[in-house]
Amino acid sequence: MDTVNNVKSSRRRISTTVAGLTGLLFLAGCATNAPQDTWQAKGPNAQKISDLQWIVFPIAGVVGVLVLALAGYIMFKYRDKGQPIPTQGHGKPTAEIILTIVPALILTVVGVFTFRAIFELAKTEDTEMIINVTGQQWWWEYDYPVQTELGINTPIISSGQLVMPVGTKVLLRETSRDVIHSYWIPALNGKKDAVPGRIHLLRLEADKPGIFAGQCTEFCGLSHANMRMEAVALSKEDFAKWVASQQKAYTSPADGTLAKEGETVFLNQCVRCHQVNGLKKADGTPALAAPDENVYSGAAPNLSHLMSRNTFAGAMFDLLRKSCRADVWDATSEEFGAKYLAGVSESCLNQTDLRAWLRNAPAMKPMYADPTKLTKTGGKYRGMPNLGLTENDIDKLVAYLLTLK
Amino acid sequence: MFTPSSKYFVGLTGIALVSAILYMFLINPSDLGAIALFGVAASSALVAGFTLFTRDGDAFTDEEAVAAATYAPGGSIWPIVFALGAALVLTGLATVPVVFILGIGVLFGAGLEWTIQNWSQRASADTAFNSFVRERAIGALEYPGLAAVGLAIIAYLFSRIVLAVSKEAGPIIFIVVAAAILVVGILISQKPALRGRVTVLISTAAVIALVVVGVIAALSGERHELAVSSEEDHYSAEHRECEVAASEHYDHLANNQVSLRSAVTATIFVEDGKLRAQAIGIKKDIDTITIPRSLGTTVIFRNLDETEHRLVVNLGSHTVAETGVKEKVGTCTQLTGKKQEQALTLTIPKPATSEEPYFFEVPGIEGEIKLVVP
Amino acid sequence: MAIIERPSSEVATPAVVAPSQALGAIRRPVASKGWRSWLFTVDHKKIGIMYGVVAMVFFIVGGVEALLIRLQLALPDGRILSADQYNQMFTMHATTMIFLFAMPMAGAFANYFLPLQIGARDVAFPRLNALSLWLLVGGGLILNASWFLGGAADGGWFMYAPNSGPVFSPSNGVDFWVLGLQIAGIASLIGSINLIVTVLNMRAPGMTLMKMPVFTWMILVVQFLLVFSLPVITVALVLLMFQRSYGATFFDVSQGADPLLWQHLFWIFGHPEVYVLILPGFGIISEVLPTFSRKPLFGYPFVVFSGASIGLVGFGVWAHHMFAAGLGPVSVAVFSISTMAIAIPTGVKIFNWLLTMWGGKIWYTTAMKFAIGLVVLFTIGGLSGVTHSVAPSDTQQTDTYYIVAHFHYVLFGGMVFGLFSGFYYWWPKVFGKLLNEKLGSWNFWFMVIGMNLTFGPMHILGLQGQPRRMYVWTEARAGEGLFNFGFWNMVSSIGSFVLAVGILFFLINVVITARNGKQAPADPWDARTLEWLATSPPKEHNFDRIPVVHHLDEFFHRKYEEDPNTHTMRQIATGEELIRAEEAAADSDIHLPGPSYWPLVLAIGIGVLGLGVVYGTPVMVVGAAVVLLASFGWVLEPSVPEAIDYASPDGDGHSKEIATHG
Repeated sequence: MDTVNNVKSSRRRISTTVAGLTGLLFLAGCATNAPQDTWQAKGPNAQKISDLQWIVFPIAGVVGVLVLALAGYIMFKYRDKGQPIPTQGHGKPTAEIILTIVPALILTVVGVFTFRAIFELAKTEDTEMIINVTGQQWWWEYDYPVQTELGINTPIISSGQLVMPVGTKVLLRETSRDVIHSYWIPALNGKKDAVPGRIHLLRLEADKPGIFAGQCTEFCGLSHANMRMEAVALSKEDFAKWVASQQKAYTSPADGTLAKEGETVFLNQCVRCHQVNGLKKADGTPALAAPDENVYSGAAPNLSHLMSRNTFAGAMFDLLRKSCRADVWDATSEEFGAKYLAGVSESCLNQTDLRAWLRNAPAMKPMYADPTKLTKTGGKYRGMPNLGLTENDIDKLVAYLLTLK
Repeated sequence: MFTPSSKYFVGLTGIALVSAILYMFLINPSDLGAIALFGVAASSALVAGFTLFTRDGDAFTDEEAVAAATYAPGGSIWPIVFALGAALVLTGLATVPVVFILGIGVLFGAGLEWTIQNWSQRASADTAFNSFVRERAIGALEYPGLAAVGLAIIAYLFSRIVLAVSKEAGPIIFIVVAAAILVVGILISQKPALRGRVTVLISTAAVIALVVVGVIAALSGERHELAVSSEEDHYSAEHRECEVAASEHYDHLANNQVSLRSAVTATIFVEDGKLRAQAIGIKKDIDTITIPRSLGTTVIFRNLDETEHRLVVNLGSHTVAETGVKEKVGTCTQLTGKKQEQALTLTIPKPATSEEPYFFEVPGIEGEIKLVVP
Repeated sequence: MAIIERPSSEVATPAVVAPSQALGAIRRPVASKGWRSWLFTVDHKKIGIMYGVVAMVFFIVGGVEALLIRLQLALPDGRILSADQYNQMFTMHATTMIFLFAMPMAGAFANYFLPLQIGARDVAFPRLNALSLWLLVGGGLILNASWFLGGAADGGWFMYAPNSGPVFSPSNGVDFWVLGLQIAGIASLIGSINLIVTVLNMRAPGMTLMKMPVFTWMILVVQFLLVFSLPVITVALVLLMFQRSYGATFFDVSQGADPLLWQHLFWIFGHPEVYVLILPGFGIISEVLPTFSRKPLFGYPFVVFSGASIGLVGFGVWAHHMFAAGLGPVSVAVFSISTMAIAIPTGVKIFNWLLTMWGGKIWYTTAMKFAIGLVVLFTIGGLSGVTHSVAPSDTQQTDTYYIVAHFHYVLFGGMVFGLFSGFYYWWPKVFGKLLNEKLGSWNFWFMVIGMNLTFGPMHILGLQGQPRRMYVWTEARAGEGLFNFGFWNMVSSIGSFVLAVGILFFLINVVITARNGKQAPADPWDARTLEWLATSPPKEHNFDRIPVVHHLDEFFHRKYEEDPNTHTMRQIATGEELIRAEEAAADSDIHLPGPSYWPLVLAIGIGVLGLGVVYGTPVMVVGAAVVLLASFGWVLEPSVPEAIDYASPDGDGHSKEIATHG
């Protein structure tokens, strides 16, 4: 009896070791610091999911190793060694019933944990801040409804980077203007689809300041691969500074500068779709963009305070040069806030991509922006067309955009 | 192989096909002419097939010759139906096109039936066999055709009845009729004794009832609301009258139930004569509702007051190009009774100017809820 | 004689004409050799082979698409395909593999072996069987014609609304996709009704349902799944067709539609479809494992009922494809649990296969290797499936490469390995020649290694956050260290070519076997089920005499007998002897259906009718005319070819007549 138990337990030990080793091998095979790694939770919601995964994956791993070991054993033991044809038995119901009940029990355990986690993750009553997130082919718009207790007295509108305070339960209210998108910041929570005509809720909360990468994960057409997002968590003080900077009034560049000429180019070309809050036409009336008349889905990124963001074109390109970007991404959580709030300076601007984008946007990111092929959209674009700007115009525009802090 | 009349129809098919294709590519890309020509081709192909198949109804083998010789013509309904078709065609030419098309259909059907009957009665000397070949040749067309016509009549008459009775009675009639059909079906399948005469009797009674009631319903016309709303476009934005008082047109058909819940951004309440608003995720009442631009967003208005109210949204003004007059832009819900609610879906393309901010108000109630489009 | 004169009694000798003569002009084709014998055949075996050929062609098409995808993704910012081309490529890869390879290939096996396994001479409706083949070919051609007519569908095989609408997918690709799938859907629906009737009505005497081979059982379950799930996708496709071609607004949000409607409709079909794909593979290896273990299947009733319950529960788990779609926690919890529940019958199957081998005398042929490969790979895929039945965990995994890894382990490891096992096992039955075992071994090992190299790394890629359906991946999100995304994407791409070489070995094997393969023995595997009682390849009428069944594994029990003392099995006859005995006792009067032109004509008509949706109403009218013509031909053609149509009448005493149906 004892020996049997010993044999059994040593077998169990072996299989656990094998499972562990496989797990380790798997972990060793992973990239370090993958920005979208689902196993590196940086907030309580993602942590809940991660905890659950640490239950399910080991169970699946152990079961897998056991079954495969059994298969290997059978394959070796019962190979044809010239033994006679075995008795034609048709199975043992007791074995069947045991083999049905055991997996059922294991799954019940998993099910209980799952059930609890689902409802915990769906909780929204204790929300501390809301942000509207609107998907559109192929970028995300963030707008912050008036929340006076957070210092948001006029709505803030932004795109490319979601900025939020740490340690705050932020509720995203997701929807879409055209097709279904999906919002996913793996370090903070699982994904949730942004469906047109519906508002879906997703809770994010970050433990420490930092920047977290994400990616649209519901196939949304041509440039789905280029629809990225970044979530930025700032300490509460830094977030207040950010809010203040976003509510700062517009200041027109000084007369006679290159940037002022850039403002004119912007008024002639860009303002057809892109709003800059506070920008006025030459006659002093507000320059209201009309993306609804030119873009099929109805909006284009609002460019007020563009240079306070680090990305453009649906977070596909960085506004920061490589070294400056690395400086922000690799910053410690103490330094991060200051570095992020510094925004994009002229020396740090990623001139190459920004200029190429202004020169011919559809060449940089696949979009439906060929003016000859807009029959089904009633002449409206889906994405930014080639504006045919001269190099001179581009110089001016870049100088102007740099003033949009 | 080709008999004289089949040659004619095969030729007709060919000509119609060629002209249809030429028509499509050379004359007009519009579908109608091509469909007509293709239709001619298809129907003459069908007739060609039949004449080929029946060899013009001529004797082919010796046996058939004998059969033809012993051929005893029975009664036939088709000449009179054919005549009816001709009459319909003529009437249709003078009156409405529907009758003309109906006449063409009857002519075609009667001609086909006549031909097949004539042929089948001479197929052999065995009448049972003759009726068998007739069924075989024409049954595949007859039954689906009759079924389609029958179903069309039933569906049309039933729709007349449901449109004529009140909105509440419609579903009840539907449920009762469906249940009755189910019960009768089960009874017939379970009690073979009921088959035969009883079934025929019940079906006949049902059909007669349907026809009588249907005709009456069709004559009496659709129910009042439908008639009114199809006459005048009372639900469109232009007809909305957003005053305190009840609007004669816009309000009198209000349906104060909202089932749409998936895209509600905020709820506005009137309670104890005061206006307040709530949004998902914010615990306290809000005084500003933020709506992203160019995005259809729904706001729910719930009235907890004793009196009826409506929610009005003001979206600035625009200048009418022809007259130069400034007109208010905005919309409103219908009057909403106590503990009832209505939804207002807004798609706002542009932010407000500082001179003319957007806001919600409830006429007769103090205060407003700001509406901001960033 | 005047026509109105009534016949006198003397002439009353009824001049009855034979029906076929009276109904004249339409005749049955008679060719038994050459291309005509294939085009107009209603023989389930010929149709089965054609299904196989068609499926194999599409397997290669879909495989090339897969290789292009992997080439594009081998390096960051790939430039082999444009975004548009890539989106078409992955849409068509999935559509082709599922609808034009996996289902038809399972159909090939089902068509060929199901009547043989139940001791029937043909399926219940032979002409419908031919119709479903030709409709499938038509659907496949329409689907793939879109490549040359302005671009293929680009919305993913799931074709989520509203991205599939006319504005968001302006080319005609989605139209062709909708039509192709509707036509292929008609084919599947007809086929499934046909096979259900065949199994229920045409089993050999003595074969109760619980004496039916497991392959037949699994095919039966699959047909029921199809009958209940295809109508749902058909509804969805019709809605989409009306939205795209006729201005309907079923999925137009501005008109009040809810785009989740499409997702529900699609997955209510789409999830049972997964079992439609996998169960035939399960069925095949449930034949192969016992044969080469020399033991009956362990727990036959449990395997049968677990298959049936997988089918049943499979209708209750669709929303696990929508855990991230915002259904609300209650729905998510319910579907999460039901998804876990489906793992139980699946686990039962795996244990039963392992216990079938337990205590056996295992003969490692290529067929057996593929079968064991299925058990192993499917176990891995099944377990990764359990990890995303946990809904919160799935919100991190869904739409990443982890899912791609999961379902390729399940479908490639589970289904394709099953099909290849079936190829090696039944090739001698179909063609009378054994596939080369040595090449088979190369084939197997390249496929196993290639498959694991291709799809194994995708687990890591997905868990580390590489989403699927992206035409490029960027180094900015690839992580650092040796094992970053670049490394694993490259491994995966190399693996896909190893896999392709493995499949090439199979094709080479087929060619070599066809050229110089030797005649296979009558019973090369010492097999167990009825199809081996027929000759290889089987005669046109399958069985010289309809077998009477007494056992599960009837053929085995005719060969072996248990020694009452030692309880070991003793051979009492060889397979060859049994086959000869059947031939000697052949039935004298065998009824077989005659070939027909009309299934092919009808399929062409339906195809043209479908094209009318894209190319305008006149084309539709032409299609409708052909459909009408073909329907009449179908109804009116004589039940048998006329004797005078044969070049030389049969002299062997077997009369050829049709069954009354068909």
